[in-house]
Amino acid sequence: MTELTLPLRGLIARPLRTLLTILGIALAVAGFVALTGLTAGVQHSFASGIDENGADLVVSQRGAFNLVSSTVPRSLGSGLSAVPDVEAVSGVLLNITTADDAANIVMAGWPAGSFLWNDMHLLAGRIPAPGDQWPVILGESIATALDKRVGDTVELQFQPYQIVGIASFSSVLNQNSAIVPLEGLQQLLSREDVFTLYEVRLKRPLDKNDVAVARTRLMAAAPGFEVGDTEQFANSIRIFDLLQAIAQTISLAVMAMASVAVANTLLMAVNERTFEIGVLAALGWSPRRILRLILIEGVFMSAAGGVIGIILGALAMEMAAKTKFAAGLIVPYLSGWSIVQALIFVFIAGPLGALYPAWRATRLLPADALRRI
Amino acid sequence: MSLLVELSNVGRDFDSGRIVAVDDVSLAIEDDETVAIVGRSGSGKSTILNLVCGLDRPTRGEVRFEGRAVNGRAAWAAVRASRIGIVFQNFFLLQSLSAGENIEVALLGNLGGARQRRIRALELLAHFGLAERATLRPAELSGGERQRLAIARALANRPKLLVADEPTGSLDVQTSQSVMSIIGNVHREFGTAVIVVTHDEEVAALCGRRVEISDGRIRSDSRVAAISTPTPASRTR
Ligand SMILES: Nc1ncnc2c1ncn2[C@@H]1O[C@H](COP(=O)(O)OP(=O)(O)OP(=O)(O)O)[C@@H](O)[C@H]1O
Ligand SMILES: [Mg+2]
Repeated sequence: MTELTLPLRGLIARPLRTLLTILGIALAVAGFVALTGLTAGVQHSFASGIDENGADLVVSQRGAFNLVSSTVPRSLGSGLSAVPDVEAVSGVLLNITTADDAANIVMAGWPAGSFLWNDMHLLAGRIPAPGDQWPVILGESIATALDKRVGDTVELQFQPYQIVGIASFSSVLNQNSAIVPLEGLQQLLSREDVFTLYEVRLKRPLDKNDVAVARTRLMAAAPGFEVGDTEQFANSIRIFDLLQAIAQTISLAVMAMASVAVANTLLMAVNERTFEIGVLAALGWSPRRILRLILIEGVFMSAAGGVIGIILGALAMEMAAKTKFAAGLIVPYLSGWSIVQALIFVFIAGPLGALYPAWRATRLLPADALRRI
Repeated sequence: MSLLVELSNVGRDFDSGRIVAVDDVSLAIEDDETVAIVGRSGSGKSTILNLVCGLDRPTRGEVRFEGRAVNGRAAWAAVRASRIGIVFQNFFLLQSLSAGENIEVALLGNLGGARQRRIRALELLAHFGLAERATLRPAELSGGERQRLAIARALANRPKLLVADEPTGSLDVQTSQSVMSIIGNVHREFGTAVIVVTHDEEVAALCGRRVEISDGRIRSDSRVAAISTPTPASRTR
């Protein structure tokens, strides 16, 4: 036998309690991984969604609260186009609404003739042509989810749209979006003279340095506005900070509860095993060794809970992302950092929860412990 | 021959002074003695034994082991680990461990290497006729086997002092006799000092010294020529 035999037997001797504690820790860790992963995923999906359509830089309102609330005036466009190395700029209007009242969807209004249409990979149909009445191109995922084909009608922002094409995208955001002509969407939203953002395409060939230079020039052309690459744009949207703060606060609370659960379980285990601890003390086990015994039990449960929790969290994210209402807005994103955070918690909070019961166990006089049978 | 344990004016109260379990006990025990502590139920025998092993803390007075005052749980644990083997009336075996592991658990802090511990445990089991019981749990052993296992465990670290609280209390007459002869043999073979708490006069008669307790005090303390008086040659180990 080794130092681990006794703690392991202790855990096995009370299988139900051990399992319930591990489950408690696992759920806390799963909550943390899922919550932080989903907020990070939303942000990530916006960045990659804008990237995909050929834009190198994005001009948006400084400190915009959310994706849709950013406003840039039409008048900015000519100044931006005049910047050297800029191939084209496109004012884009974004809106989050429901499709047929059944699923959340991002509507993107693109101007006719924009470079954005060029890279589109159509699976069916065509891009909107002049003379179309309320045409829309649906992302493949949302089309499948809503069971729509070219020629069908879909209601977006209380307006029936004719589906003229279905396109495939690599980003989840775009897979679940509806792309419509800019003018119609501006009318529907009464935002005729503004865009959500300008997407800027630079001249090819392009290296990192070119992007940096162009960015500085664009900032000069659009003073007071945010100019950045798509990732910077996603990071600048303040609602993501808010989401992250909420997610982190909830996860911290959940994790705190989990450590209390560990402490409680171990306290009960220690109480129940007062006698065993008395015997070990009588055999000459030092208080430190006894402390370690209890701590090892705590670490075992935390580690098992942590691993199971990360797996559960990843599964929960997958499931959340698959619900119709979350499609496209929620993207599972299991970052290494959130796994590290969860494991840090597990290896700090678990033993911390075990510390008090363990300390109590060593305070007891062996004679008192042995009297309690 | 040298002094092993020394209690000087030791007292132990419970219930914040309302119960005086042990009062002003002074007792010196040599490293080659066999001592029987006798007395009526509730007279304070177990409490004295607990104080001798540092399982309990005296309210008054001092306990010295091998000439040094021992204070604190960690210090007493170290003394017990290397110097004292304890046999309890109710065996106090760990139910989640096998017979062999019950001995190994006592070796854990003292003998490095799982293999070494395993070998020592098997030696001890064999010595007490339990070789074939090594993998059984205490619940699967008979009363006598359990008590022999408890003795084997107490001897695991080759203690200087073997302490037993009513070692025969829960055994039938025949088994009691064999347990007592085992304890007598331990004394002779290993030169281990023995303190036995008992209210069995036959058991007490096997010891070289008889200390009678009543109401927490020593009533009498006498050395007698016991059957198991050690022979000088057997004291080398
Ligand atoms: N932890 C304790 N709390 C309160 N009273 C105690 C405690 N331990 C012992 N006592 C009391 O101290 C007295 C002596 O107890 P002790 O167990 O030493 O007696 P004993 O001689 O071993 O008796 P027995 O032969 O029945 O085992 C008893 O009155 C007992 O009730
Ligand atoms: Mg007693």
